[in-house]
Amino acid sequence: MSDFRRFIAKRLTVSALLTLVSVTIIFFVLRLLPGSPFETLITTGNLSPEQAEEVFALYGLDKPLWQQYLVYLKNLLTFQFGYSILQSRPVWAILGPKLANTLILLVPALVTTAVVSTAVGMYAGWNRGSTAETTSIAVTTFLRSTPVFITAIFLLIAFSYTLGWVPAFGMRRVTATPNGLLDTYLSIDFLHHYLLPFTVTVLYYSGDFLLLARNGVVEKKGSEFLKLHRAKGLTENEQLVRAGRNSLLPVVTYFALRLGMIFQGLILLEVVFGWDGIGRALVLAIEQQDYPLVQAAVFIMALAVIVMNLVSDVLCAYLDPTVTANGGAA
Amino acid sequence: MSTGSISLRERITSRTEHIWSHLRFLAGDRLACAGLITLGVFVFLGVTGPTIAPYHPIEDYVRTAQGDIVRLSAPSMDTPLGTTEYGKDVLSQFLAGAQPTLIVGLLGGVGTGALGFLVGLVSGYFGGWVDELLMRLTDLTFSLPFMPMALLLLTFITPNVWLITAIIISFLWKMPARVVRSEVLSTRERTFVKSARASGASHLRTMFLHIAPNVLPIGFLYTAYGVAWAIAAQASLAFLGFGDPTTTSWGRMLRMVFESGTIRIAWWWVLPPAIAIAAVTTSVFFIGRAYEEMINPEIQNQ
Amino acid sequence: MTSEQPLLEVDDLHVRYSTNGGDVYAVNGVSFSIDTGINYGLAGESGSGKSTVAEAILGLLPENGAIDRGEIRFKGENLLELSAAERRDVLWEKIAYIPQSAMDSLDPVMTTGDQIRQAIEKHRNVSETNARERVRELFDMVGLDPDRTEEYPHEFSGGMRQRVTIAMALALEPDLIIADEPTTGLDAIIQDKILDTMLDIQAQIDSSLLLITHEIGVIAETCAELSLLYGGKVMEQGSVDNVLINPTNPYTMGLKNSFPEIEGGDSPVSIPGSPPNLSRAPSACAFTERCPFSTEECEQSHPDLMELPNRNHRSACHHVEQAAQMRRDATEPETWGVAVEAENEPETGDVILEADNLRTWYEQSQSLVSKLRGKDPTYVRAVDGVSLSVRRSEILGIAGESGCGKSTLGETMALLTTPTDGELVFDGVPYEQYRDGNMKEFRRKLQIIFQDPFDSLNPRQPVRKLVGEPLTIHDYRTDERTAAITETLETVGLPTTTSFLDQHPHELSGGQRQRVAIARALVLDPDFLICDEPASMLDVSLKVNLLNLLRRLADTEDIGIIYISHDLASLAEVSDRLAIMYLGRIVEQGAVDSVIQQSKHPYTNSLLSAAPEKDPSVERQRVLLEGKPPTPVDLPDGCVFAPRCPKATTECHSAEPAADAAGDENHLAACYFPDSEHDPISAEDSSTGTESVSD
Repeated sequence: MSDFRRFIAKRLTVSALLTLVSVTIIFFVLRLLPGSPFETLITTGNLSPEQAEEVFALYGLDKPLWQQYLVYLKNLLTFQFGYSILQSRPVWAILGPKLANTLILLVPALVTTAVVSTAVGMYAGWNRGSTAETTSIAVTTFLRSTPVFITAIFLLIAFSYTLGWVPAFGMRRVTATPNGLLDTYLSIDFLHHYLLPFTVTVLYYSGDFLLLARNGVVEKKGSEFLKLHRAKGLTENEQLVRAGRNSLLPVVTYFALRLGMIFQGLILLEVVFGWDGIGRALVLAIEQQDYPLVQAAVFIMALAVIVMNLVSDVLCAYLDPTVTANGGAA
Repeated sequence: MSTGSISLRERITSRTEHIWSHLRFLAGDRLACAGLITLGVFVFLGVTGPTIAPYHPIEDYVRTAQGDIVRLSAPSMDTPLGTTEYGKDVLSQFLAGAQPTLIVGLLGGVGTGALGFLVGLVSGYFGGWVDELLMRLTDLTFSLPFMPMALLLLTFITPNVWLITAIIISFLWKMPARVVRSEVLSTRERTFVKSARASGASHLRTMFLHIAPNVLPIGFLYTAYGVAWAIAAQASLAFLGFGDPTTTSWGRMLRMVFESGTIRIAWWWVLPPAIAIAAVTTSVFFIGRAYEEMINPEIQNQ
Repeated sequence: MTSEQPLLEVDDLHVRYSTNGGDVYAVNGVSFSIDTGINYGLAGESGSGKSTVAEAILGLLPENGAIDRGEIRFKGENLLELSAAERRDVLWEKIAYIPQSAMDSLDPVMTTGDQIRQAIEKHRNVSETNARERVRELFDMVGLDPDRTEEYPHEFSGGMRQRVTIAMALALEPDLIIADEPTTGLDAIIQDKILDTMLDIQAQIDSSLLLITHEIGVIAETCAELSLLYGGKVMEQGSVDNVLINPTNPYTMGLKNSFPEIEGGDSPVSIPGSPPNLSRAPSACAFTERCPFSTEECEQSHPDLMELPNRNHRSACHHVEQAAQMRRDATEPETWGVAVEAENEPETGDVILEADNLRTWYEQSQSLVSKLRGKDPTYVRAVDGVSLSVRRSEILGIAGESGCGKSTLGETMALLTTPTDGELVFDGVPYEQYRDGNMKEFRRKLQIIFQDPFDSLNPRQPVRKLVGEPLTIHDYRTDERTAAITETLETVGLPTTTSFLDQHPHELSGGQRQRVAIARALVLDPDFLICDEPASMLDVSLKVNLLNLLRRLADTEDIGIIYISHDLASLAEVSDRLAIMYLGRIVEQGAVDSVIQQSKHPYTNSLLSAAPEKDPSVERQRVLLEGKPPTPVDLPDGCVFAPRCPKATTECHSAEPAADAAGDENHLAACYFPDSEHDPISAEDSSTGTESVSD
């Protein structure tokens, strides 16, 4: 057990260091690149040089770089993201709802695809060489290798433009002004808009889970322990369950990693469907050079990946009895 | 001397036979076979596309006999793939657009594979702090979100094909690096490596002559995947408006049609680049998968 | 007498595998029957089809394997005609299975107890509590701690995992247990204990046993009847006593003669040639290519099993009537076309390698906190004070169970691991001098050969490169490369044709690979060879070939050899002197005959007694050791063997005996109470005797 604790301590330290380095990189990329939103404002004459000084002081941009860096670090690590330059609202007030929009789309989709694709993958692996296997692999390979916006465009053309079953753009009708959580996320109108992006996400992520599960089962199928299970008189399905259980680990760790990545949103998906999520907000902020917004968004994304990376390592050590804490670090 | 040349010739023959047997295996897999053909067409377009295009994809307008610009016309005899909202020939854009896709895909893929292979090889072979350092570096590239970081960089530096390729490589090398490393870790423990060390082979010799050839297949595999990822990344960047503004690419065509708001109508404008991108990336993956089946002994020996 | 129905009848079984490279005819008409309560042995070298027969009976053939012909009747019922569901009901309830590789045969993510419980609950309608109780009972029966049922397979050692699978097989008290090489890969002592447990319990529950193994000795000790397979055919079958004492088939004779024996008078004679090609159904006698007695008749057809009069004994040989003559001839190496080397007692040369009090300790990883607290690091003492010396032309055998540190010792002496302490002198130069910049010279002069012939060659290099690479590295004889390679290949008895030089390891047989590995070592004309279990994965005839080769190298090339193995029989065959290792120490060493016939250390004694006897008429006296070796981290005070030693006294527990505590300079033993005469039976008596002395 002390081994396990030591392992956790090591992983935590590494994660903290990683966060620090990522944050530093974000800072310097933003500061050292030429151009800032104020320059545009000044050159277009919207801001007098005096006003500009004031604004600079307000954002702490008049201080030396290292002081800015320290302030920036302190603020980020205490989750004080400051104010958006262009919208003059707290960054969190802008990003929070967008992040929620992203998660409400991607988390259910990811869970759905993880469960369904893994099950299909295991079945396919067990029946290696069957038509079901070849077809499922061909289809999911297509879905996972094609850029997501292209799949989205195909489905849009088919179900929205041609068949007219679902709306093509946005999260709800333009006229809708939802009140309260329930109304926001559970109205028929919302679900109607939800359907297509959800489906695209499910399809896009299906390939990796399916292949992981399928390869795992194929490898286990020839294993000695399964032979002993077979000798004990277990039925095909019971054997499949054991083979599945034995190949679940990579699937679970992959799920944890993906869960961390979805905080980045599927930028292209959100752009194509006009889904008001964090990825789309980030692209907008980058185009408008709204630094505080950009750095906060990127920070959240990086942190999510680092945390979920940690979770997946710990999960791996916890779930697999044969992985000693030391081996889990690999 | 003569014996030497004979054995050299024999070796070349056996090498080509080896490659042929791989190709035959791929041809035996129907999907991979289709993929090979698709890729062949793609490479052909990438090389010859701009020269066989009837119009210049950006400068020329398609005009009627009267000299009016033909906007958003459906496919016809003159313009087999119709025209765009801005009066350009879709076929020409499509043909010219293959080139940047090919360049970024090929260079990005090879770069990703080569860099990742080297990092994985060194990291796995030496272990210890070298490994720790390189692996934390890959963790770092995992935690920094690719798309946003790429967009940030491309906002400030005018995008061109080479820059985009470089950015793609600097974010994608982690994938092969991780896989190659774990492969090296298990190869390193094999007896023949110990035996090479015991017969006095240096680190470099052991690493490049004994370990590298045994992990090369997985390196090739991830180079192939790298090609697909690079093409997808390039198309995505172009679609978001961060591509090279001076050249036409398939991703940029899609951005144009999406921006112009004519996506509902102009199917002739949407489908060629969309289908082409999907076909190329999928083909690469099909070939990669067939190759994986061939080289993965655990899957193979059933 | 014959009215009673046999328990299992296999009748004219044919099994074929379809592979990418064409069909493989693995089993070609095997018939035998097992009576109730009988232990039946199925023996043969690898590729003889013995495991395939077991898989066919159990219905576990892989998907590419098909039964072309034949019947398998269990209690009169043809198993092959049952539906899948009916077949599953027979499995485990009636026929249980003990798999070959216990290391991989248990589900890694399920507790051992649950895996056994699963077998019970699958076939019986019992409550969970009862099933759990039964599992505890079974654990106890096979000698496992009943409180460990909730542990996962990886928490058990190899021998204990095999006990788990045995417990599983016993769970439902089946009528027949099929054990497929149940002890392969285990150390002699553990193998002995496991066989003992298995037979003991199996007798208690009164079930039959079908034991599949390549070790004739194991069958001789455990079974009443056997069938000997070769090339998917039964060569000889019947009662163990008849078949093994008076074999009537040349294959049996060859196989029996090729087993090295610890105390055998005759040198083993290997069967030359390689196993038959099974890509076609055999039309000639399967053994004809390698048989010294083969005639034209043998080329025409495979002989039917012929009943020998008045005894339970059948043989498939066209010349069975000349059995007695063949038996006599078969003991002569000339019969098999093997060149006999003059048994000249070679004079050994000067000392070439000498180790004095050599230690190799590994630091155990420690948390940063305890490092900061200044805790002393703990060490795994893999090699702990070994002193030995080897002369030119001499073969020193080092024997010991797995985990005793013998491989680490080998790697330390090859300087692949730096010694922690002690002295190592090679060719008159201390190792420090080599380490400080003269490593190349050392690597040229001393070569090490590793265990696994399937993995010790780079799969991407052809033979030419494999053998030639050391020349390139050391810039040795580079101008006559081809000549150097050819000479070396000839020395180890490999072909030197261009086509062979261009082959890759996967195209070579196991024996060829090991020879290439040896050629790779010899091409530099070394002065010393360290061989770490070079033969452990080879079939017996290949093993004998290898031993002969090493012996010849020592005698003619004047090089010193250390041969590390757990197989005492091979060691006894090849070595001049023998060292027995236990927990990082050498507990006994001396001239090989002296150590084996007058062993002084009780550990040596138990090792010797654990080896099975291939002659069924000899009763072996077992000295079963209690417990297992402690981990070399926290070692007990005093003699490290004392906790397991049947005759340990307080003296043994308080101070460790020096390496030369007993014996003379030709035969040393680290023991206070050495056995005075060689007779394992007297171990008990002498121990009581010595105890009274010490009182």
